[in-house]
Amino acid sequence: MSQELRRARNRQMLIFLLVCFGMLILLGRLYYWQVVEAHSGHNLAQLALDEHIQNIVLNAPRGLIYDAQGRILATNVVRDDVYIEPIQFSVDHPDDYQASLAELIHSLHHVLPQVSEDRLYKDFNSGLQTMRIATRIDPTQSQQLQAMHLPDIFLVSRTWRVYPQGTLAAQLLGYVTQSDTDNQGVYGIEGQYNALLSGRPGSLTAETDLNGNPLVVGPSTEQNPVSGADLTLTINSDIQFFVEQGLAQAVKQLGAQSGTVVVLNARTGAVVAMAGYPTFDPNSYWQYANQKGCLGSEDVYFNPALYCAYEPGSTMKAVTMAAALDQQLITPETTLVDPGYITFPDAPTVYNWDDLAYGTETMTQVLEHSANVGAAYVAHNILGASRYYPYLARFGFGQPTGLHDGPEAPGYYRTPTNSPQVWTPSDLTRQAFGQSIEATPLQVALAYEAIANGGVMMRPYLLASIDNNGRDATTQPQVVRRVISARAAQLLTGMLEEAATIGLAQTAKVPGYTVAAKTGTATTQGISDSETEASVAGFIPAQNPQFVILVKIDRPQATIYGGTAAAPLWKAIAQQLMEYYQVPPDDLKR
Amino acid sequence: MTKDQRPKSVAPGPIQAAKRRRQLYPFLFHMGPVALSVCSVLLIGLMALLYLSQLNQAISANNTLLALHAQESALQRQNQDLVNTIAKEQSPAYIAAQAKHMGLVPADPSTVQVVIVPHLRPIPSDDLKQRFKP
Repeated sequence: MSQELRRARNRQMLIFLLVCFGMLILLGRLYYWQVVEAHSGHNLAQLALDEHIQNIVLNAPRGLIYDAQGRILATNVVRDDVYIEPIQFSVDHPDDYQASLAELIHSLHHVLPQVSEDRLYKDFNSGLQTMRIATRIDPTQSQQLQAMHLPDIFLVSRTWRVYPQGTLAAQLLGYVTQSDTDNQGVYGIEGQYNALLSGRPGSLTAETDLNGNPLVVGPSTEQNPVSGADLTLTINSDIQFFVEQGLAQAVKQLGAQSGTVVVLNARTGAVVAMAGYPTFDPNSYWQYANQKGCLGSEDVYFNPALYCAYEPGSTMKAVTMAAALDQQLITPETTLVDPGYITFPDAPTVYNWDDLAYGTETMTQVLEHSANVGAAYVAHNILGASRYYPYLARFGFGQPTGLHDGPEAPGYYRTPTNSPQVWTPSDLTRQAFGQSIEATPLQVALAYEAIANGGVMMRPYLLASIDNNGRDATTQPQVVRRVISARAAQLLTGMLEEAATIGLAQTAKVPGYTVAAKTGTATTQGISDSETEASVAGFIPAQNPQFVILVKIDRPQATIYGGTAAAPLWKAIAQQLMEYYQVPPDDLKR
Repeated sequence: MTKDQRPKSVAPGPIQAAKRRRQLYPFLFHMGPVALSVCSVLLIGLMALLYLSQLNQAISANNTLLALHAQESALQRQNQDLVNTIAKEQSPAYIAAQAKHMGLVPADPSTVQVVIVPHLRPIPSDDLKQRFKP
């Protein structure tokens, strides 16, 4: 080979080696960035993934709530919130900002008249990246805004919980808080069964395009959301509406502070209606934050049937008689002499509420007259503490009722066992006629349910069935315990029937039907005797009980007695129930 | 010069040429280096086109899917609104308000008269069918 050719070959080799060296450096850098830095150090691979892979949460639809007839009490709707981008708008319109802004605000205000133009000007000058200007707009407004394609305006959809029947059964249902991040059920069924109603959210992890839309045909992982369970209650909307209307009217007419009604199925313990006044609208729950119920002691959101413990008054006399009848210590014909008062060696004198003396009266007449003397005599002289208090416990007083296992006021009464330092026989004599004892309306209603059901107390329930994505569960009526014998229940029913027919509860008598009921007019120590809790508790028809009804009116002014304040509403509800459920009349004698 | 006397490093011209031809003509048909390069480029281009076409179809399908999802969401939304409207109109409060608007008054159960018919016996259902047979 010639020398020139050799030199040329050497130059070629040198250039080749230089090029190879350069390639090696490039390969090395490539390896460094693609392998070393990708998975450690700056973790570039993860950063790249984060740029174009999004994890989208798929919200689970909240379960619906139905009444016993399948009508919807709570459902969900989707509504849009309106957002503006003030900074982007100013960037997009550097030359004609004012004119464009005026036009945009005018258009916005035309569609959203609830948002004033002044407020819109202020929002656009806020200097924020994004700002919400309207919440939960109507579907027609959403359609208008979407059709207008306004610049730097966008809509964000949100699911809202709505209650189509307004205030109906509000305190039973509760409500769902509506926040930007989380919706939670609060109070009532919504709160108690929040986990079941919420379901489980799903997720979608996928690459997204420039607009943030997931590329589902690409690699993606999806976990489907699990819808919340649908709940069916035992409530009858028609009866509930009638009860609520009647209660509101009665409270207003009587000048009372509040009221409660409980209607139970006498045989199963199912809640047919449960109402409190005042109440609230769960569709706008925030407007009631300062309102109180339960004589000002609780927020209006609380169900007064479960939380408003009160002194039941003379409705407790039925329990006192039940205890004595069950132990065969008295019969309905057992007599006592009632001079209008009774003295005890270890307790203060007890007087009849009307200061009347009834002379020789039977136990049935004690209930007819609602005589405190007779009740105190039975509790103190015949039963005694050791034979009386076990029956209060058996009737469920001082314990939660177990209605949907939620929180509730248990009520309270002093006994020698739980309050040995402060209990006195005076408590016994007073508890006999419903003073010195606190019970919730539901507890009193359940006591009468036990009497109506042949002496057997059923567990109250509000949830009839659960439909959890095809898996159904139905609540079966559950016996709590036998409280008194069937014979004692029958005898007591007869006595209460007399009380409703010719006693103070006559106003509650429903023509054509046998009624067993007892009135109650309770005062509170330390408060004027004209401030009462007027109530009626009973069941209808007495001979074949279908429904237990308790009506309680708090601090009525027009008339303070159970027989005059609460009984008319009791009668109206009883009549409505008989008519609605087509229960045939059973009182053929009167 | 005999075969054995030829220098070993020098292959015969035709054999070398044949070897070189086999190197350049790997296929059944003859193809020169330029033709091979062009074919390779064309093949790569075709594969790229096919890939892009598939990708385009996938993106188009994705857009269709997104549009269908949006349509489904809109329909679900409408359905929920209708359910809400039906629930409102089935509510006792709405019905009572409509009835009042039409001039109706609530029925008063206390005005129901109970008529006692002594010795009333129900007619057996078989007798009823017999009597009112068409």
